[in-house]
Amino acid sequence: MDLRKHEIEVLKALGELEKSGSRGIAEESGLKEEAVLSAIVKLTKNDLVEVNERLITRYKVGEEGERFLKEGLPEEEILKYSLDGKNKISELNKKLGKNKVKVGLGWLKRKSLADVEKGEIKPNEKAEKWMNKDKKIKKILRAIKKGYNTKKDLKKEFNGIEEGINELKNRSNSIIEEEIVKKRFKINKRGKNVLRDLKEEDTITDLKPSHLKDGSWEKKKFINYDIEAEAKPKYPGKRHPYQRLLDKVRRIFRDMGFQEIKGNTVESSFWNFDALFQPQDHPAREMQDTLYLKKPDSSKLPKEKLVEKTKSMHEKGNEINSKGWGGTWDKKLAEKPVLRTHTTATTIRYLYKNPDPPQKVFSIDRAYRRETIDATHLPQFYQVEGIVSDKEVDFENLLGFLSEFYERMGFEEIRFRPGYFPYTEPSVEPEVYVEDLEEWVELGGAGIFRKEVTKPVNVNNPVLAWGLGIGRLAMLKLGLSDLRELYRSDIKWLREVPICP
Amino acid sequence: MAEGGTNLPIVKLDKTRLEQEVGEDIDLILEKIPMIGADIERINPKEVDIEFFPNRPDLFNDIGVSRALKGFLDIEKGAPVYNTETSNHGLEVTKDVQPVRPEIVGAVVKDLKLSEKDIESLVELQEHLHWGLGRDRKKVSIGLHDLKDINFPFKYTAVEPSSTEFTPLGFNEEMDLSEILKKHEKGKKYGKILKEKSRYPILKDKDDKILSFPPIINGVTTEVDEKTSNIFIDVTGTDRDSIEDALNILVTSLSDIGGKIYDLQIHGVYNRKTPELDHKTYNVDIKDIKELLGFKATKDEIKDSLKKMRFGAEINGENVKVNVPPYRADILHPHDIIEDVAIGYGYQNLKPRKPNIPGVGSSHDIEETGKQLREIMTGLGYLEVMTLTLTNEKNEYINLNREIKESVEIENPITEEHTILRNTLLPSLLEILKLNQHRELPQRIFEYGEVIHPTKEFAKDCYHLSGISIHSNANFSEMKSVINAIFREINIDYELSKSDDKSFIKGRRAEIKHKNKKIGIFGEIHPKVLQNHDLVHPAAGFEIEANKLTNEINN
Repeated sequence: MDLRKHEIEVLKALGELEKSGSRGIAEESGLKEEAVLSAIVKLTKNDLVEVNERLITRYKVGEEGERFLKEGLPEEEILKYSLDGKNKISELNKKLGKNKVKVGLGWLKRKSLADVEKGEIKPNEKAEKWMNKDKKIKKILRAIKKGYNTKKDLKKEFNGIEEGINELKNRSNSIIEEEIVKKRFKINKRGKNVLRDLKEEDTITDLKPSHLKDGSWEKKKFINYDIEAEAKPKYPGKRHPYQRLLDKVRRIFRDMGFQEIKGNTVESSFWNFDALFQPQDHPAREMQDTLYLKKPDSSKLPKEKLVEKTKSMHEKGNEINSKGWGGTWDKKLAEKPVLRTHTTATTIRYLYKNPDPPQKVFSIDRAYRRETIDATHLPQFYQVEGIVSDKEVDFENLLGFLSEFYERMGFEEIRFRPGYFPYTEPSVEPEVYVEDLEEWVELGGAGIFRKEVTKPVNVNNPVLAWGLGIGRLAMLKLGLSDLRELYRSDIKWLREVPICP
Repeated sequence: MAEGGTNLPIVKLDKTRLEQEVGEDIDLILEKIPMIGADIERINPKEVDIEFFPNRPDLFNDIGVSRALKGFLDIEKGAPVYNTETSNHGLEVTKDVQPVRPEIVGAVVKDLKLSEKDIESLVELQEHLHWGLGRDRKKVSIGLHDLKDINFPFKYTAVEPSSTEFTPLGFNEEMDLSEILKKHEKGKKYGKILKEKSRYPILKDKDDKILSFPPIINGVTTEVDEKTSNIFIDVTGTDRDSIEDALNILVTSLSDIGGKIYDLQIHGVYNRKTPELDHKTYNVDIKDIKELLGFKATKDEIKDSLKKMRFGAEINGENVKVNVPPYRADILHPHDIIEDVAIGYGYQNLKPRKPNIPGVGSSHDIEETGKQLREIMTGLGYLEVMTLTLTNEKNEYINLNREIKESVEIENPITEEHTILRNTLLPSLLEILKLNQHRELPQRIFEYGEVIHPTKEFAKDCYHLSGISIHSNANFSEMKSVINAIFREINIDYELSKSDDKSFIKGRRAEIKHKNKKIGIFGEIHPKVLQNHDLVHPAAGFEIEANKLTNEINN
């Protein structure tokens, strides 16, 4: 006979208890009740354990019974009023409801605690004493709720239990009676024999140091485990899948020889817009699209020389043969702090400090927009951005970098379409083919910085730039349909989402 | 890099009309449109919705799109020529209007035969121009008028709001100008442009008939319909270049559908003759084109690419002479023309080449630190979470049992939930636990990320590490072991001292110090804080100001 570990443990427990229900066995053996029951099936099949079935009457508190405990019995409620002198039935009907009054009066008469005369309730001398007594049926109800819910249990608690139960049964819906089959298990002679054999210590359940020290394991038989039995799931501490994706992007840039830079969440409009030749009346700069700040409410502009150059570039374009935007450039607007609307603010700051080529830098950080939150929009999102600044780089080189970048991201098919960004010319929108969607997906923008952008920061060579809004990519890779799920961090999801998606 | 502005104009193009005007099959047209620079938003049975780029207002209706497509598809190339007939149409600009809305240009277009579709298309163009070039009419606003019942010369002037009455479009009774701002839908919408002005602009004819009340509404007298054959266009605004661009785009469209353009003589405060439809000429160095694009096109290919994009182009030695038609409002610099060379040549014909540019790859110290800390935390069995940096004072301070401190504060928040930037990470983690009450315990989570601290002069990003553990036995000593492990692994000394942070239970909280400076905090979360997050189990947590340690960790 091949007994498994659980089955042996149940048998051992029954050996101790002789006779028990499943809960008792579970307590004795430390197993879960389900595990006990499944072991019992096997043990009875092998005729080691006998099953005894008994019918047991069990009670539950009904809806009405719950109300008795909360509000009192109907006759109690009536007596409370009438002992106070409020004894007109018509009034009580209004206060308690006709039905309750009718039922309550019935019980008052039955228990001869009051009479009715001319539509008025007359409590007799017994009434007051009765009111002050704890009612037996309420005690019973409370006991049932505490778990003394079989007739046997209740008999131990109370005298004359039948009477109380009968009264409750007469009050509809106050208790619910049900018959259940209770199984008790008993180890039989065969079972005891098996147990005895086991005790001779020729088997091993858990391998112990002593078995190894004295080599006794060699003569023993290992108890078989149920290899199909459920094992408790285990979840390792893990990186957030989105962070893992951002890290992959970081690695790709690093492998391509790019240096990572970081900037600040709070930026001046100057670096976020003006230095990037965004006209001051551009719709993106309006309150509707950009998050402006109450605190801090102003920023210090960079060196006067740069501010002057930027101003004249916006107003008349001058030295590079550009028309500029015309109008008057207002320093005040440039001073307004914003939550950076793109990480290009970080890039242009870097170029100002490091104008000499060659430069290959990237950044992965959050940008902010004044967007209403829904499945595809959040007011903040990660942006990935790279630039290459060198003497002889050109548009076809930009397409070369983009192709390599997206290829390393795992996209095999890439195509290029014209695009428009205020600070690049020419501009391009790279698209990648996504197998699962069977369509081309736009994954960011790119271009060569306009001379209107590079000239004021003293960069005199072309600068290739590209950016990628990565939320969309994360959704594709992680199979999410709602961007919000990335930030909701459902622990179940985090536990279960595989590291290798 | 990302486009600005959320409301790019969607142009509705009628498929049949487009096929007729371009003379090509709709499928070919739809295939080519993205390659001249536009996104197809959706294709309906009769119409296509296309999002054109905001720098090309000349593509804001089907007439402009057909013109561009004809070039792109080799049907009609080069720069179209538009002639202006001389006339004696006069318009006087008075001094009064200068402080209100100083600039005006205009033109007359005659001999039109307008279909219902033409009028729809003109109205659409007008609306998109108001948005695109006009910044919602602030900078540019346009009026189209039937010339039938009005007589030259016109006058552009400013009047007291209550002194002038006329019947605006959409109404059948006369109103004065302030009434129009209060009652008329357009008045309510655009009245803000005239805020704080004591006089309002008015355009009227020889007999004081009101043509329009710019930038709000036209009068009923000059309403344009299918019977209109002669149109007067006025464009008013604050910036002369922009109103001229708008006028040119309109008159060239009208000319393309058969109208004849006549000029307008403006006099008074300034003298000008509009529209100005001559081509502007640029001499672009062919070397510049090749250097910027990097491609090996021949001179003829460059010339042909430009002509496809509806420029005039002639090779002149090592230069190409480019004639820019008057509706192109986007050419600021020769690079704008060079981009069009690439578009005309076809982006699909360019050859991506990756050059060898030296560079040593590296990640930022902050991320290197993050890498180490994340490795330690996941090793300790903690799950990484990501949260938003936007929050509010209740979540950041009050729910944490902390005093409200100064934070970076949004001026125009979109929801009450997001009014400030977070100062610390722990509140975000507690919010995550709140969302995960129904998930199995123990839960151990952490985040490494930026918090934003206001400074004396501005604000700065700091990077913190925070972790929290919740289960029935979570306590101070569990967290102390975690702190111990973290500092052992990053190999940095620390001391503990008593803390008074009310987010934690008194006597079960400690400050972490390094070289006598506070760098963090840990302890058992205060029951009030747990209740504020609907949590019913004990929790212990910590927060370390990791950026203060970045240098030591990376050395």
